[in-house]
Formats: sequence, C-alpha cells, structure tokens
Amino acid sequence: MADVYNIEKNLKIDVPSDTTQVLLVAKYDILKHIRSKRLLAIGIILALVLALVTFLGTYNNPDPHDAAKFIGNYAGFVSIMIVIGVTLFAGDAIVSEFQGRTGYLLFPNPVKKSSLYAGKFLASVGIMSIVIVAYYLVAIVIGLAYTGNFTDLSIYSMLLAILYGAAATGVAFLISSVLKTSTASLVLTFFMLFLILTLVSSVFTLAGIKPDGELTFAGGTISDIMKTPYPVDSVTNLTEGGRFVFHQYAPGVGISVLVEIAWLAVTSSLGYIAFKRREMVS
Amino acid sequence: MEYPIEIENLVKDYRGGFRAVDALTLKVPHKAFLGFLGPNGAGKTTTIKVLTNMLVATSGKASLNGIDVTADPKMALADVGAVVETPEFYPYLTPLETLEYLGQLRGMSMTDIQRRSKEVLDVVKMTEWQDKRIGKFSKGMKQRLAIAQALLHEPSVIILDEPTSGLDPRGMFEMREVLRELKKGDYTVFMSSHLMNEVQEVCSDVALINKGKLLKSASVESLLSEFRDKKIEVRTMRKVEPADFVNVGKISGVQGINTLADNAFTLDFNGGDEEQARLLLDLQATGLKIVTFKESGMALESLYMSLIKDSR
Repeated sequence: MADVYNIEKNLKIDVPSDTTQVLLVAKYDILKHIRSKRLLAIGIILALVLALVTFLGTYNNPDPHDAAKFIGNYAGFVSIMIVIGVTLFAGDAIVSEFQGRTGYLLFPNPVKKSSLYAGKFLASVGIMSIVIVAYYLVAIVIGLAYTGNFTDLSIYSMLLAILYGAAATGVAFLISSVLKTSTASLVLTFFMLFLILTLVSSVFTLAGIKPDGELTFAGGTISDIMKTPYPVDSVTNLTEGGRFVFHQYAPGVGISVLVEIAWLAVTSSLGYIAFKRREMVS
Repeated sequence: MEYPIEIENLVKDYRGGFRAVDALTLKVPHKAFLGFLGPNGAGKTTTIKVLTNMLVATSGKASLNGIDVTADPKMALADVGAVVETPEFYPYLTPLETLEYLGQLRGMSMTDIQRRSKEVLDVVKMTEWQDKRIGKFSKGMKQRLAIAQALLHEPSVIILDEPTSGLDPRGMFEMREVLRELKKGDYTVFMSSHLMNEVQEVCSDVALINKGKLLKSASVESLLSEFRDKKIEVRTMRKVEPADFVNVGKISGVQGINTLADNAFTLDFNGGDEEQARLLLDLQATGLKIVTFKESGMALESLYMSLIKDSR
C-alpha cells in the first residue's frame, strides 16, 4: 500500500510503497552493472575459466560418461568466481554513494535508507546470481555434449553457489557500509573472502577444530556436492603414535546452508545499521 | 501550512566536539524565498543537510510541511526538491534516465515524468544533452541538472545550497533567471548563498548565521531600511589634499575615509537618504568639485559584513 501524499498542484503524487522503491533502486543498480565495465570484466573471466576447464576436463577425463565429475571440474572454480563477482558488484555499493557524492542526489528523496540498502543488495545478489546461472548453464550444456548425461547435483551445486554468493554479498555490504573509500572497500572485500576467512579456516583445521561456522569453509559444499560419495572428515597420522595428525574436514551440506543463511542475516543487518548511522558529512 | 520549513533549537555537533549549528531556530513562511547567509563554516550546509536527512541533529527539531525530518524522512521529503552542495550523478545514466529514476522514486506517473522532464530540462537549458550519458558533463552542467531534478515534481518546498556554485558567468545569469521564475511560482524556497547580489535580487527574506547561531532574520526590505551604514565612493576633479580630508571628516555621519587614488576616496557613512543627500552638498561646500558620488557595494553586503564583524 502506497503512502498517500497528494500534492494539490498540477501533479498527483503518491509516494510509492517501500517495496516498489526497493525494486526501483534494484532496477537502476542492475542497469549500472549492465552498463559498467565490471560486467564485461567478469564476462571475460567467466569465458576464460569455462574455456580452460573445458580443455582440461576433456583432455584428461578417464570416464567421459560421468557428468557429476565433469561438472565438478567447473564447480571447483565457482568459489573464486563468486569472490571476484562479489568484489566487483557489491564491494563498493554503499561507500561509492558517499565517496562519489551521488548520495547528495539520492538521499534527499522520499525513500527510506532501508529501501536503498535492500534495493542495492537485491541488485548485487541478482546480477551475481545471473552470472552464476550463466556459468552453470554453459557448463551443463558442455557436459551434456561431452558426457551425454545430466546430473541433478549440478543444480544443487548452483543453488549452493547462489546462497554462498548472497552471504558473501552480505560481507561486502558490511565492509562497504563501514569503510570510507571505494578502493579500500574493494580490496578488503576481496582479501576477506579470498584470504582472511580461508586462513581462519586453516588455523581451526590445524588446531583440530572443524570450522563449521566459517563462511568460506561452508562454501566448500559447492564443489563437494558434486563428489560421489560425499567427502567425510578424516584424520591422518603424520608420525607414529599420533603426535602429529593432519585433519581434513568436509563441510556438511545442511549445516553449511544454515551457516550461510546466518552469515547473510548477520552481515547484512550489521551493514544496514552502519549505513543508517552513516552521515553525509563531506 | 503557515511555515513549511521550521527549525527549532537545532544543535549539530560533529565528532571531536565541533558545534556546527548552535540552538538555531528559524521559521520560513509559506511562499517566502529565504536567503540563508553566512561565511564559510557558519553552519549553512550543515543545517541544510539536517533538513534533507543527510545528517542527524544532535538535538532540536527540523520539520518540512509539519513533518519531523528525523522521525519520518520519507513523508517529510515527499514534497521537497533539494540541491545540496554539487551532487554527482550516476555517470551511466542520461539526464532523461536520471529524471525518470528520481521521478519514479517520488511517485510520479511516467506521463508526468516525460512531460516535466522536457519542461525542466528546457528551463535549465539542457535539452540538447538529454540523451547523453552524464559521465563527462562539466560541473556547471551537473549543477543545472541538479536544479532540474529538484523542480521535477513541482515540490512546494525547494531547498538550494549555493545553486550558482560552479557555474560560469553566463550560467550564473541563467540560474538567476531560474530563481526569479521560482519566486513567481507557488514555492517556498530556502537558499543558502555567498552572493549578496543574488540574495538581494531574488530573496524576499534573509537569515544571517555565523558560528552556527542565528544573527538576524527578517524580510530583505525591513533589514535594508533598518540598516544605515553605507560606503560612499567619491571622485573629484582635483587631487584631494590632507586638509580636505580633515574637512570631510568633520561632516556629520562620516565615520571613516579610505583613499583610493589622488582624486578618489570612499567614505564610511551612517545615515538615511536625506542625510546622504546633505552629505553631497556638504562635500561640495568643502571646495571639492565632485565628479561622481555613489554608494559602493550592496547594502545587504554591508549589513552582512557588519553583523559578521560584531559576532566575532
């Protein structure tokens, strides 16, 4: 329901509902992504990865009828594609309004900050999802052509990738709402998802603690789900007597989905609070 | 609505304790065109940012059309058009697309958006650029587009933060034309500016602030009639000798003399029109042959300088 505010002049204006405004903001942010060079960049990277994986997958594939294994080759690269995509599409979504001064145009309008945030978030997740779906569609078509088979696992992997992308977007929006410059936000988003969180996982693993609550560890399900049987946790004794052991953990699908939803909810909420409190000072 | 813009006891402190706005109270009457004057750092832009929900007040209240901006910014800004500082535009959009976006956000129908977009782009002389992407527009072009978007939905309240900033002389002239047109319309305008001639020319009311505090607020007419300090510029036929200055200094109302050239000087003078007419006679009576005798600068500027000086 629209908030009715009629202006008794030549125009009759009903301020649109929050939902309508969210969709409007998302529409114009998607237009930004479509017209920007960033979409072109991710498109080129996507094409290169697809070409490389196709070449390697067909060149060295002992079982040309195993669609899951074939698509699994592609799924193995999805996480890094998501990190790059999230950095490009969400890394500076909020901070750019402040640093680029476009906030001076956007903020004095009858639109809540929550609608602006939600619209931008929707746009980032939307464009990221389109990229992921396009990647999987190409991979599935190539897989069908090469193996002659289709596996449902590729769809599950794609859905997990979209969820991971949404959770990673939450992290990017939180960083973007807090930092002062676009460059810092883009760099920190990339390194947070590519390096810092992965390092945290590694430290936990070395300590013999399964890093179930860590986002990039949960993202491992994207490629793990393509494996049959599904990987399980294992411990390897590196020395006699078990003094030095090597743990290898596999993220559970159910818990990983919950962890990703939790990361999505917490980071996007914190990001919104930071955005709402942030003032257009300079 | 008697006062579409109301500011009550507004305080804004920045981090570090700097108080930019200090207990500011101001009411802008319906259909007034208020010039908001003050030196750099006086708190003009901070006040405007609070009014447009870009800053949150430390205490006090700012209302637009009777709606508290902090409590309900969406409805408070529904009937407001604003240009704050020099906004940047989305470089990937054209002026028409930008107006379409903002018009939709404000709830305008597509028919109204298309009609009004043509009108406002024509007003700011941007029609020929309407389909070009904004990315490489000059600052002046962006400023004009900023004015256009503020007028798009025919708001009853218009808030302008130094609207001629960044414009070349021709752009400034054209902007003043736009402002004069606004004055004729059914708008309540709140405009900050550094330019006294601009304010004296187009504003019906004026509010002067310094260090975040309101120094004076009244109609331009009443302020000017109240203010009697003037600067008079005089040019004579011959060189002005020290003895002449002594004689001129004795004339009633003369408070100071500044030499401009051998045969030119300015007088700091206090008095109304009658006293000013007598001053000319008294100057001639000293034996100086007067070639020109005119008020230097604008009355509002003198008032502004005087009030700012007093508040320091």
